[in-house]
Parts: sequence; structure tokens; C-alpha cells
Amino acid sequence: MAEGSTTRVWGMRLMYLALALVLIFAQLIPLDFRPQAWAGPDLLVAFTFAWALRRPEFVPALSIGLVVLLADLLFLRPPGLWAALMVLGTQALRNRARNLRDQPFVMEWLAVAGVFLAISVANRLVLAILMVPQAPLGLTIIHVLMTLICYPVVVMLSQWVFGVRKAAPGDLDRLGQRI
Amino acid sequence: MAKDKSQADDYLAPLKRLLVGLLVLCLIGLFLLWRIDSPRVERFRAAVVDRVVPSFDWAMAPVTATVNLVRDFQSYQRIVQQNQDLRNELQKMKAWKEAALQLEQENARLLDLNKVRLDPRLTFVTGVVLADSGSPFRQSVLLNVGARDGIVDGWATMDGIGLVGRISGVGRDTSRVILLTDPASRIPATIQPSGQTAIVQGDNTAAPPISFLEDPDLVRPGDRVVSSGDGGVFPAGLLIGQVAADPGGRLRVILAADYERLEFLRVLRNPGTEVIRDPGALVAPQDQRLAPSPLPEDGAILSETEGSNG
Repeated sequence: MAEGSTTRVWGMRLMYLALALVLIFAQLIPLDFRPQAWAGPDLLVAFTFAWALRRPEFVPALSIGLVVLLADLLFLRPPGLWAALMVLGTQALRNRARNLRDQPFVMEWLAVAGVFLAISVANRLVLAILMVPQAPLGLTIIHVLMTLICYPVVVMLSQWVFGVRKAAPGDLDRLGQRI
Repeated sequence: MAKDKSQADDYLAPLKRLLVGLLVLCLIGLFLLWRIDSPRVERFRAAVVDRVVPSFDWAMAPVTATVNLVRDFQSYQRIVQQNQDLRNELQKMKAWKEAALQLEQENARLLDLNKVRLDPRLTFVTGVVLADSGSPFRQSVLLNVGARDGIVDGWATMDGIGLVGRISGVGRDTSRVILLTDPASRIPATIQPSGQTAIVQGDNTAAPPISFLEDPDLVRPGDRVVSSGDGGVFPAGLLIGQVAADPGGRLRVILAADYERLEFLRVLRNPGTEVIRDPGALVAPQDQRLAPSPLPEDGAILSETEGSNG
């Protein structure tokens, strides 16, 4: 029993890495080179948060850090900053995961919105302080809003397609003990 | 059981927190290093892109082709309309072709009369677009040519007609082109026919604005914008686009390159313009300035021969 759940945990960790690579890949496909007036949702962030709230053991901090760092490097963002903020953000959500488990979904949504807003503002502040050129503010706001709007869809997808559910009472953790 | 778990947590929790802290510190360290020593980290970025993106290529090419196929299929629905439009356009094109041929002949005759020698060193390398920037905040594309093909940072990139961008970041097999629409793009330009110089400044919109224009009254919508070659950034005279005024009255450039479909891009080999460093050669006639110089040379040769004799 314990061994089976360990393989599942490692399988899902690999699944997270594969999913992240697919999302990065999908964004890199060269289809349209005109600048767009609106920014699409950041699905990588939404999936990472949804998984970190449901099954923190599937998304260890190291894999989040590496995946977002890779995205930073490929998407021409300042390398490391957004990755560090994402690790901190998921860590904050992870600490609240136990309390949020019994709450309705709206509370979880609000928590995610709070964390995402906080790290986006922190990102802009750090870039402003270090005088790094930034994207227009309007575009960032649209980006944050779109990501938050898409969050419920991402949650449904991860529950139904990937089977990432909240731990129910009576579920066993990696060591075969009650969570 | 429960006691075991809490004990394990007691051991593991601080350790985990320490490791996460270490990870965050490493990432922030990398960011600060990037801020302090940008070229080194950018080279690292180019190396990572060089390794990762070509390995995606086997999947990316079919997906791109499929999506484009579906788009083309959608256009079948309005094929009759399109056919009509194309015929009308063809009629117009014929008239233009005639005019162009006459102009070409006239131009050749005039060049011949003037004994003009156009720069023959401007050759190009053509690359295929591998990927775009992947972010709505930056406008760039990756090409499948890199240091291996002799690409150098700063070279100009064009599609068939107009300027597209500038090479920034070269890996072994790939290179990144910062498009003219990127917020970091600044290109010195000349506006014809008034000859005003300005900067075409990307701002993440489809038509980048023109700034640092001395006298906006001399510039009219429809004027041609070409690269000026100032600062040795680009070769002079590459077509960028046409001037247009936006509803706010700000002058912008409608880019000549077809940004909807960037597939093949030309990277212009630019050996650099010659720089005149020595003002004396321009002020004084050459033979006067050179006249005293042979003397010390002779002296040096004499003393050298003496030394070898003695």
C-alpha cells in the first residue's frame, strides 16, 4: 500500500513536469507575431497553485523553481525573480492548504487571488526599484485577471483529467498514515 | 502511529523550510547576478534556449502547420469573394509592374551615368522562425541560425520587404530577433522625403511610435521611414515602413514587414561601417602630413644595421 502510493506520488511529480513542459511549448508555438492588446491567462501559474493547494506533495518546491526558471529563461523574463516569487507564493498557499480543505471553493479562489496579486505586485515593485524595463501596467492587470478567471476551469481539469483531488478524510499519505 | 508521524514532521519540517529558503536565495541570487552582469547571464540564457527549443522542433513544426492549415481551410469559405479581390488586385499590380519596370530601367541608366557603386558587401543569411517569445509582454522570435552560421549580435533582420528586428542573443544553433514592436527596441530612422531623423521606438503595439522628431510639421502620413544607419546600428536605407498618425495625433510607423506571417527571415551580414578617427587626415593635405614621417624610420633602420654590425 505504502509502496503503491509512493510510485503514484513520483508519477504525479513527473506528470507535473510534463504538463509544465507542454504548457511552455504551447506558448512558444510561432503562430502570431503581432503584439496583442490583451494577455492570455498564465496556465502554468494556475495549475501550479491548484496542485499545490490540493496535493502539495505532487509539486515540491524544487520542481516549481526549476520549471518557472526554465519559463523565465525561455520567455525572455528577468531570470530567477518570478521563479523565486512563485516558490514563495506556493509555500504560502501550502501553509494554508490544511485550513482551506474544509472551506468552500470561493475561499480558495480568494486565497489564490490574494497570493497571485501579491507576487505580481512584488514582481513589479522589485523590477521598478532595480529599474528594469517593464511591460505596460494595463497588460499585467489583464494578465492577472485572465489567470484568475481561468482558475476554476484549471481546477476542474486537474480534478477530472489528472485526478488531483483534495485529500479526503481517511486518505493515506506517502508513509501510509492518515493525513 | 500518530506520534511517529509528528516526530518525523519535527525532524523534516525545519529541514524542508531550510531547503526551500536556499532555493529561493539561489533564484534571487541568479536574478541579482543578471541585473549586475547581464551579458554573462544572457549568454547562459542563449545556451539554454539553444538546447531546449530545437528539441521541441519536431513537435512544434507539425502543430504550427496544422493550425495554419485549419486557418487556411477557414478561408475557403470566402473563396469566391477572395478570388474577386485577387483579380482586382492583379489588375492593379499589372499597372504597378509596368511602372516598376520603367523605373528600374531609368534607375539603372541613372546609376550608370553617376558611376554609383552600391555596397556589394551586404549579403544575408536566411533562417527559419522556430518559436516566438511565448509571452504577451515581449515581442521576439527565435531563428534556427546561430553562431555556427556566423550570426553576430546586432545584425539587422528583414523579411522580403522591410526591416523586422535586430539580433539580440546568439546561441550555437539559434539566435533571437528582438522585433521592432518590442518595448526594448530603438531604431534610428530617417523619414523620406523630408530627411528628418528620428527614433522608431517599440511599445508592444502593432505600429511603433516615432520619437525624437525635430520638426513634426515636415512629416506627413504616408512618408517612407528607412533606417538611417546612425550610430552604426544598422546599414542605412533599409525600409521600415510608412508614417501614419494615430487618433491621438501621435506619429507612428506602419511596418512594411508582414508581421502576420514571419516564416523565413533574412539576417543581413553587416561588416560595420568604417569610422573616421583621425581628424588630421581630413584637415591637412596628405603628403604634407606624411612628409616628416619617413625620417625616423630611416634612422631606426640605420641604427639597427649598426647594431648588427657592431
